Amino acid sequence: MTGLLLVLSAGSFIAPLASVEGVWTQDTHPLPCRVATSILVERSLAADIGLSPGDSVDVGSDPAGPGCRVMIAGVYEPDADPSELARERPRILMHLPEVAAMAGREDEVDRFSIRLRDPAGADDVARDLVALMPGTRVLRADVVAARASTTFEVVRRFHRAIGIITITAGGVFLACIMTLKVQERRSQVAALRLVGVSRKTLLSWLILEAALVSVFGGILGIGIGSLASRLINGFYQRAYQTTLEFSIVTTETVWIGLVLAVSLGLIAGAVGAVRLLQVDALAEVGR
Amino acid sequence: MLILRYSARELLRHPIRSGLAILGVAVACAMLLDMLMLGGGLNSSFESLLTTAGYELRVAPAGTLPFDTGATISDLQTVRTGMQRLDEIDGVAPVLGANLLLEGPDRPRVFVLGVDPADQGIYRLEAGEDLRSEARGERGIVIDRELTDRGLAIGDTIMLQAPGSFADARSRRGEFTIVGIADFLYSSVGERSAAVSLGTLAEITDQPDEASLLMVRLAEGADPEDVVARLRSDFPGLEIASVGQLVERAAQRLSYFRQLAVILGTVSLIVTTLLIGTIMAISINDRYGTIAALRAIGISRRSLVAAFALESLLLSLAAATIGLALGLLVAGQLESILSDFPGLPAAIRFFVLDPGRVGLAAAGVIAAGVLAALVPAIRAMNAPIASTLHREEP
Repeated sequence: MTGLLLVLSAGSFIAPLASVEGVWTQDTHPLPCRVATSILVERSLAADIGLSPGDSVDVGSDPAGPGCRVMIAGVYEPDADPSELARERPRILMHLPEVAAMAGREDEVDRFSIRLRDPAGADDVARDLVALMPGTRVLRADVVAARASTTFEVVRRFHRAIGIITITAGGVFLACIMTLKVQERRSQVAALRLVGVSRKTLLSWLILEAALVSVFGGILGIGIGSLASRLINGFYQRAYQTTLEFSIVTTETVWIGLVLAVSLGLIAGAVGAVRLLQVDALAEVGR
Repeated sequence: MLILRYSARELLRHPIRSGLAILGVAVACAMLLDMLMLGGGLNSSFESLLTTAGYELRVAPAGTLPFDTGATISDLQTVRTGMQRLDEIDGVAPVLGANLLLEGPDRPRVFVLGVDPADQGIYRLEAGEDLRSEARGERGIVIDRELTDRGLAIGDTIMLQAPGSFADARSRRGEFTIVGIADFLYSSVGERSAAVSLGTLAEITDQPDEASLLMVRLAEGADPEDVVARLRSDFPGLEIASVGQLVERAAQRLSYFRQLAVILGTVSLIVTTLLIGTIMAISINDRYGTIAALRAIGISRRSLVAAFALESLLLSLAAATIGLALGLLVAGQLESILSDFPGLPAAIRFFVLDPGRVGLAAAGVIAAGVLAALVPAIRAMNAPIASTLHREEP
């Protein structure tokens, strides 16, 4: 990965190739048509406007002007790239000289990639290339990838913050419920203490019950979470016409959920049980 | 007043239970407030940003959003004159955008905007003077705070160079004198922006009679949607949108946040309802005997239900008060995370404080709390008095 360099014209906007409605490129320049032109069409675009391999369409730089008749050689599925999600304009792929001719930018590119023989020397090569080609930026492939994923890094941090709030709310909820659950046993515990059951046994019983409730609650929560994850993936994959997975339930997530649920439940159950066992049993049964 | 005292005493009798419930509902309320702020904040923030300069319409090259690509509007003067002929249009401000390189050790990129200083809504001058003319040859430049942070100041001279193709990269450059410092309304975080005259930038970038964006100011009383429709028919090769339409598009692009806000807001309300419902159910179950006794001595069902509703109301009010404060605090933290979102103007706010939304969050939590208490309360009222008293007898 680091062995690849990406060279950008410093002023270029890395723009999608074309807008589609009929299909036209964005610049308005005279349109030299070439023979035997073929294009690849993105799957979602092909599905939306009913195109298939072998069809012919007009491609041009001016929606009001004439276009060049091209044949659809194939339909392609774009890589599942998160940074492409917000892209609104569909894409077609054409041969470079034909796009350059249509855009009136012959012998120009917005960027090109370089594969190095020795990836370790990427930084040195980048420096040399910048000196050789004023007006360009040369970036290592991993730097480009990092820049492209900035949006997702921000969203990840946002999700983590929301996750912390949700866990806090869930933790308080769990503590509350466990406290109530233990307190509900007040008269039962008092009666058991009066018939001679030891505090230790009662404490173990109450804590075990708290643990069981937490484990079952945790498992149920993981089930609901997994179902929600599937629904989220189904919804967003359809909405964005992609194969990307938006929500993944990992083993780590499952363990974090279970450990949090059980430990919070145990703490809340233990605190409630200890308090309950300090109550005067006789007073509790009304004597 | 008696009912109020009774309700308050019941809550204070179980401080841990009440405290935990208040804390739980407060966190849910904070989340609800944040999600309400997030859900509507983006739209209102976008709208406020787009209308702040006083231009109601934006015109971009066909199929693009302003500055979304390097595409430009050609035949600028013809388009501008054609638009200005309409009675509904008060002014047309052209803007040409280009990334230029600032000559210096690391040759940083600067997003330079070519404007007509007499009619522009791209920046607000903060210090120094404005550009004098839109014509070619104007060598003044207005820069933003990102550039002053690099040590540039009013009076300094800088050299900007158009990148372009390798062959002519050295020929397209210009020397400018910094005349002013401005706040660029649509700059994103970390972006270095500057403004020069439209003519000068067009000369450097070799884009004569072109613009990246036209900002259209309407005459008083003109309907933006009507003018958009008319302009679209007169200029079919251009992308013309009103502020409302742009806000709608931006909302579509960032719909994820709205959907998240709806889901988490709903979950918050459900958590509130469940938590208060459970607390009240257990609390009321504990008091079946008391309820039966009170009913036996003639206290009406309505008064008792009112007492429980009031108890829940007090609980929800306390939680909502804490929750709203907590929500504002959390919103600030979340905003600081999302402010790094690339490509959005720095002035955009995801979480916008709106008294209506604060009220809605508080009302939602309180209503959910009171409703959650009504179910166990009504069920308790229907318990038979005699058998309940017999069963609960100590």
